[in-house]
Amino acid sequence: MSALLASELLKVRTTRGWYVYLLVIVLFGGLAAAAEIGSAEDARRSTLEFQVGLVEAASIAGLLGLILGITIVTTEFRHGTITPTFLAAPVRERVLAAKAGAASLVALLFFVLALVVIAGVAVVWLAVVGADLQAGSGELWERVGQTLLGAVLWALMGIAVGSLVHAQVAALVGTLIWIFIGEPLLGALLGLLDLDGLVSYLPFQALDAADGAGADSLLAYGPGLAVAAAWVVAIGAAGLVRTSRRDIS
Amino acid sequence: MIEVEGLSKRFGKTQAVRDLSFRVDPGTITGFLGPNGAGKSTTLRAILGLVHQDEGSARVLGVPYRQLDRPLHRVGAVLEASEVHPGRTGRNHLRVLAAAASLPRSRVEDVLALVELSTAAKRRVKGYSLGMRQRLGLASALLGDPEVLVLDEPANGLDPAGIRWLRDFLRTLASEGRTILVSSHVLAEVAQTVDRVVIIHRGTLIRQATVPEVLASVQGATRVRSPEAGRLRELLAAQGGAVTAVGDGTLAADLPPERVGEVAAANGIVLHELTVERATLEEVFLELTGGETTQ
Repeated sequence: MSALLASELLKVRTTRGWYVYLLVIVLFGGLAAAAEIGSAEDARRSTLEFQVGLVEAASIAGLLGLILGITIVTTEFRHGTITPTFLAAPVRERVLAAKAGAASLVALLFFVLALVVIAGVAVVWLAVVGADLQAGSGELWERVGQTLLGAVLWALMGIAVGSLVHAQVAALVGTLIWIFIGEPLLGALLGLLDLDGLVSYLPFQALDAADGAGADSLLAYGPGLAVAAAWVVAIGAAGLVRTSRRDIS
Repeated sequence: MIEVEGLSKRFGKTQAVRDLSFRVDPGTITGFLGPNGAGKSTTLRAILGLVHQDEGSARVLGVPYRQLDRPLHRVGAVLEASEVHPGRTGRNHLRVLAAAASLPRSRVEDVLALVELSTAAKRRVKGYSLGMRQRLGLASALLGDPEVLVLDEPANGLDPAGIRWLRDFLRTLASEGRTILVSSHVLAEVAQTVDRVVIIHRGTLIRQATVPEVLASVQGATRVRSPEAGRLRELLAAQGGAVTAVGDGTLAADLPPERVGEVAAANGIVLHELTVERATLEEVFLELTGGETTQ
């Protein structure tokens, strides 16, 4: 198993896209933190609530983890490398498990990188303006843990979607359309039918709640995490069946 | 070594393989022949656990491929030269596979040297020629130093020098005692290399035999040269043989040489030459598959 995981991680590192992911995280994390701090009032900058909110910018790791998760499955079908992959590991469930492990580790790395960049910007800026750091707060670190777990769930959702929809463009574009257009439209439709309560159970609404950022329209953290995990497991199970049964020809 | 029994596979409306059975014995090179679309690739992919057959079984080294422990150490396969990520270097492509099979990095350098790709190994695969990609495929098949090799059309897209290189390479691999199953739709590529042939057409087995057996099974024409070719031609035709004049005083008769000699002797005709033309594997192949090749 560790051999397959090492192989999957090597696959990720040996294509150019890898550096694009890292660059996006550094840029987005740095800019988001700077924008938040720059636009906040002096008094607010020292509050725990504000600094916990800064951690939210690290959830970029989740979105990129989702894209990476979809990509590391579908790129194998796109370029036909799924053939040598399955020749080396003919039990396909093990390949998907290794990919899930690799995506989780990469999402963790993305998150740590984002957090380091955000913390770097925050520590320097807050010191310059003389604001107090709340780095010792348990609540802050709880949010860090929640956002990290959320990022890993998003990446696992990517593996699940990719193993169900093998066509790369369809999987990537379809997922992004679903997140930004499909779910909002469906949410509005459910609203018209007086089924507002169901909206927060949609997969990416639940994944949003699992980031820990919270919002009135979302489920609370615990239920949100559970519903998001249930979606990942359900779509992942369908993907497992689809990938196992598929003829590689 | 490789046993295919009653294998059938349908893709939608197309019956790609129908009740196919054959075996590949240890230590032999077997040519897996048939025109394009005969079902060769589907069969090879079923043997390797990539395609799920509808019926029948395919075993490698006694078990279905999926049940092989450490498969790359036992079986090497080259299916399509294009199954490489274009943005990855040749060396990294092999490193990824070596990692999955728990093989040391030194094996990557070994096989790169073996297929003469060491100098190109740090380049991205998208810059490789088709011949280089075929050799990269061979390198990946040899990573685990397997005892069985399965090659699907390895000569596709190679220039004559590349085909010659491949032929010598396969012979070397076979001399090391490996079992090789190599498919082709171009017979000349494998005719000088293989011990046995499995010929399929439209998904069914046409013939499975050694090369001499297959050659012997198809009667070549009897070639006869005589100063009285015109008279002999009429006499042979009267025996029911198809006779054609193939040159100055030379006939090709669709009769055994014994019969031709008897007819000539009985009629006092002088013969200057009487030989049996051996059918080439190419002719056998065309005859058995109804001439439907791309050649």
